[in-house]
Amino acid sequence: MALTALICDDSLLARNQMKKSLPAAFDAEIVTATNGLEALTVLRGQEIGVVFLDLTMPELDGVGVLEAIKAERMDVFVIVVSADIQPEMQKRVMDLGALAFIQKPVNTDKLSAVMRQYGLI
Amino acid sequence: MDIDWLSGPLLQQLNSGVILLNKQLQVVYINPYICRRADIQLESVQGKDLFSVFADAPKAWLSRKLNSVLSLQSPAFSSWEQRQYLFKLPHLRPVSSANQYMAQNCNMLPLTEPSSGEHFVCLLIEDATDAYVYQSQLQQSNLQLQQVNRLDGLTGVLNRNYWQQQLEVEVQRAGRYQHPLSLLFFDLDKFKRLNDEYGHQAGDIVLIEVAKLIGSLLRETDLFGRYGGEEFAIILPDTPLEGAIEVAKRICQRVAATPIEYQQQQLMTSVSVGVSQFSIATSADELIQQADLALYQAKRNGRNQVVTYYPELIDSLKKVKT
Amino acid sequence: MTDLSFTEEQRDCLQELINVAMGLASDKLARFLNTFVHLQVPAIGLVNAAEIPEQFRGQYQGLNSSMISLGFFGDGGLRGETILLYQLENAGKIAALLGYDDDATSEAEMLTDISSILTTTFLNGLAEQLDNSFSYAAPRIISSRDNDFISKLEQTAFHWQLALKVDIRYELTDYSFDCNMILLIPGEAVLKLKAILDNVLAEF
Repeated sequence: MALTALICDDSLLARNQMKKSLPAAFDAEIVTATNGLEALTVLRGQEIGVVFLDLTMPELDGVGVLEAIKAERMDVFVIVVSADIQPEMQKRVMDLGALAFIQKPVNTDKLSAVMRQYGLI
Repeated sequence: MDIDWLSGPLLQQLNSGVILLNKQLQVVYINPYICRRADIQLESVQGKDLFSVFADAPKAWLSRKLNSVLSLQSPAFSSWEQRQYLFKLPHLRPVSSANQYMAQNCNMLPLTEPSSGEHFVCLLIEDATDAYVYQSQLQQSNLQLQQVNRLDGLTGVLNRNYWQQQLEVEVQRAGRYQHPLSLLFFDLDKFKRLNDEYGHQAGDIVLIEVAKLIGSLLRETDLFGRYGGEEFAIILPDTPLEGAIEVAKRICQRVAATPIEYQQQQLMTSVSVGVSQFSIATSADELIQQADLALYQAKRNGRNQVVTYYPELIDSLKKVKT
Repeated sequence: MTDLSFTEEQRDCLQELINVAMGLASDKLARFLNTFVHLQVPAIGLVNAAEIPEQFRGQYQGLNSSMISLGFFGDGGLRGETILLYQLENAGKIAALLGYDDDATSEAEMLTDISSILTTTFLNGLAEQLDNSFSYAAPRIISSRDNDFISKLEQTAFHWQLALKVDIRYELTDYSFDCNMILLIPGEAVLKLKAILDNVLAEF
């Protein structure tokens, strides 16, 4: 069964960049969310294998999403894709259970490297 | 066309300073513009720490700034308007300009050597002496103009207009911060007779000398103004009543004890002083009115003395008038 | 008349590019200043430049404020001016932040120093996103606490048809201070910017 991946970002450009940068070998159905609250609704409603999560978003930010995933013990891989790359922020999201941290703007090379590392492709 | 040959002669003849430093802020290159003005040889300073070559440069600030250029890879700037110069260099207007060193604008740029990827920082230094001189002259004239507008032409103390503006400011300040504030009003005794007897020129000399004498008894922060004719006023910020009376008595004693020389004659004069204080008076107008009443009472009491305002003065004045 | 307004796609694209540039800038600043910089989604709006003075009148009037301008030039006709507005209540904090223990540094110099660091790190990040590179003019204080800076802003804004207003609050863990940044872009440069954004959008 193919995996379902959630791309969560408030920016259309960033969502499109993300879709376009996914490696061809990644066989998954893609759903999207435009803020943290929408992402949680999707995560609670269907089985998601991996989330590509932006941090700086309106309504509920990425850290809030990670906290909810942790609190509700959801079984999902989270790859944070963010412009905020300060060491302190990286540590914070990793402590909250994120699998990896990718600096925006994304590209196929960066994504492939991380996804290969965690056996997603 | 290949233009690699250009950079050498350009750096030689450029009418701006170029200093190239490595990451340790050691001198890699200094162009002749700087070498000649600083009287240094490139060969003898290469590899040396910038601050050992220019010992007078502001080390703490400049090294922090140069390090920001290196670590952020963003340019930084220094303008003569904030800091007149970074390096003590002579300028080319030694005659027409009073300041000793070249005023400088400086761009600090991050540079990367393409083959090795090594980072450098480059200082571009421009002579801004002309702008500096022009600006200073302008400021000087503005200052002179401002003073002319603020001072009394004869005695050099504050004129009435400016003094009154300052009183408003001080009253507001005293009210806001709950600071004491006192006011002295004084008047030369029998000044009209002095004018009649010795002439207006003598009167003027007495005004000038008395103002000079009293000025020497005051603090920097006291505001001494000519209120009109032979009447003067002094704002004493941060001064409670007792302090103000002290100052007033000293003024009285010193004026009465100091003869003023006019055409080989010794002229004697005296002053009467009225004192008022903020908190009893609640506005600038009231302060003036109360000090003026006290001064009037000092005259009535026989001159050459200090009277402090008290509320009954208003009634006693009414009695005189009726 | 040429249409200077942005489509929703262009606005979104610019917002994202600015977010990424902000991210790059904050990371550099955090490392340089040794403190954590809190990022907020900056409010981006294209406004008629003539309206800006009125907007700031309400926000800054009566406060001790200072305004610093820094011009930038890029390739392909992209150019503009950034204006940073500060409240001067915490000049001492800024000095500590910059690591200045040298008493000879004036308040004016501190403000130009922090301004050039904040703007050039951000603009360098933006230039990188746009495959461009910027060169900068030295920062200038257009106003100090003694002057009526709104009227100065009125004179400045007069030269620009359209302003890209980016409100950034720089919030740091150890020192917090308010600072607004406005990017002013003249009409013809806005057209260049729109073309550049369309190129970015066409790629995705």
